[in-house]
Amino acid sequence: MKTDKWYLLMILPALAFICFFIFYPLLQGGVMAFQNYSLFNLKDIHFIGLENFKTIINSKSVNFWQIMFNTLKWTVLSLILQFLLGFLLAMMLRKPFKGRSLYCGFVFYPWALCGFAIGLIWSWLFNGQFGVINDLLMKIGIIKENIGWLSNPKIAMYSVVISNVWYGIPYFGIMLLAALQSVPNDLYEAAKLDGANGIQQLFHVTIPYIKPTIISTVLLRSMWIVNFPDLIYAMTNGGPVNSTHILGTMMINKVYKEFDYGQGSAYGVIIMVLLLTYAVIYLRVTKGKGED
Amino acid sequence: MNSRKIKQFLGTLVRILILTCFFLSATLPLFWIFVTSIKNGTELYAIPLVYWPKEPTIAAYQRLFSYSNFGQYFKNSLFVTLTSSVVAMVLSVMGGFALSRFRHKKMKGILELLMYFTQTIPSFMIMLPLFMFFSKLKLVDNLPILAVIYVATVIAFSTLMSRSFFDRIPVDLEEAAKIDGCNMAQSIIHVVLPLTLPGIAAIFCFAFVNIWNELFLAVMMINKAAKYTVPVALNSFISKAGVSWDLMSAGIVVSLLPTMIVFGIGQKYIVAGLTEGGVKG
Repeated sequence: MKTDKWYLLMILPALAFICFFIFYPLLQGGVMAFQNYSLFNLKDIHFIGLENFKTIINSKSVNFWQIMFNTLKWTVLSLILQFLLGFLLAMMLRKPFKGRSLYCGFVFYPWALCGFAIGLIWSWLFNGQFGVINDLLMKIGIIKENIGWLSNPKIAMYSVVISNVWYGIPYFGIMLLAALQSVPNDLYEAAKLDGANGIQQLFHVTIPYIKPTIISTVLLRSMWIVNFPDLIYAMTNGGPVNSTHILGTMMINKVYKEFDYGQGSAYGVIIMVLLLTYAVIYLRVTKGKGED
Repeated sequence: MNSRKIKQFLGTLVRILILTCFFLSATLPLFWIFVTSIKNGTELYAIPLVYWPKEPTIAAYQRLFSYSNFGQYFKNSLFVTLTSSVVAMVLSVMGGFALSRFRHKKMKGILELLMYFTQTIPSFMIMLPLFMFFSKLKLVDNLPILAVIYVATVIAFSTLMSRSFFDRIPVDLEEAAKIDGCNMAQSIIHVVLPLTLPGIAAIFCFAFVNIWNELFLAVMMINKAAKYTVPVALNSFISKAGVSWDLMSAGIVVSLLPTMIVFGIGQKYIVAGLTEGGVKG
């Protein structure tokens, strides 16, 4: 047990950073959510109970339930498409071929890019007038006139989801490829002997074997997507007519534009409570199989 | 026999087609931004679109570094990112080793839970109190302070990652080194660390990528243009009336280079870090 003291000493600096710069501000932020706390009026900071939450939920300019629905849409659509396409990519990469690792570099690199910059890139691609996507689609003859990818409230959400999918495929690709490579070949051989075709092998061998990876990556990724307003902030900043506003972008706007730190923190608390509830339910439903 | 061969051939063909689609959709967006960055002013907003400029120009890059002072922002980002990545790497190697070797099971469990919990905290939840705290101390627009905050934002994840790397090195090795007369520090430095070098490289790459790409905390903590980091500078390009897309594209290309280089060099380690030690994408 004497060495444990040394170990504690070794982990102390990391702990100190976490306590001072994460947990302490987190507590303060939690308090702020229940205060009247505006940068315009710092002299008058006082507790107002649940007032911030009431204001958010009853807001006339922004329908709170639409924001919740947008957050759900943004998260679920992005997650499903990222997962399915990442899975497809991983399946295609399972068997080795010449230059595979170089190829991986070219398809996995978006993982390392800045979310905000990706948002800028896609807002240029989706540009209604000079966007290359409209131009290509017209050349092929799929559309007859320019589509307002980011200016039409009916499709703006799908456009930002597409860019998020582009960003997220590599994560699932990397994780699922590693999991796929750990599936023993004997299992496939045995399945083949039993007369299983490709699709049966996928559902009876591959997916059950990599289930733990699927469970943990889906959980982490979904929480990460909720906490990832960078793309939307760069592309539409919630517009047009709030059609792409999610909880995260609402919070950013409360802080950067209105300087209302009380309401901003209240959004933060809502996000955290939702995510923690989600994580608990998710782990219950999957019975903790996702843990290593 | 024949039908099986045809099936196999078709399978390969489909595979090549799908892989080509993935390749094109991953690379073309960035390629288009590059093309945009080397167009001149008239080609930039020409209809029909110009797919390759007649006379490629680096004028946008020149403007970026002279008029827009991007060199300074790049240096700021490099300073903040390198400092905090190195500090986070050292502290998380120490912390991860300790976490892996702790004998007191309860203590170990509590510490791990704390680290995992930090992963659920949205960064914008902590940025307001941090900003208020440091503005009272007159420490906003301070790059070392930003670096310190960044250490805190990546340290829990790095520590968990480093723990999982140390977990896979048997304790017997250290015991053997001790019998050979090494003290704890010596056995760590000479025996354990060399075995975890790939893991340490992964920790560094992760910290570098996450910190280089961070926008919201930096916008909060940095107001003075001279102290902008790269994402904050890109952000400031839009808030000015209208975006000049050649300049913006050049800025994006330059801003993506460092993390692309880190990914290119460290791909092997990053993949290992994600899949073996990773808890977050």
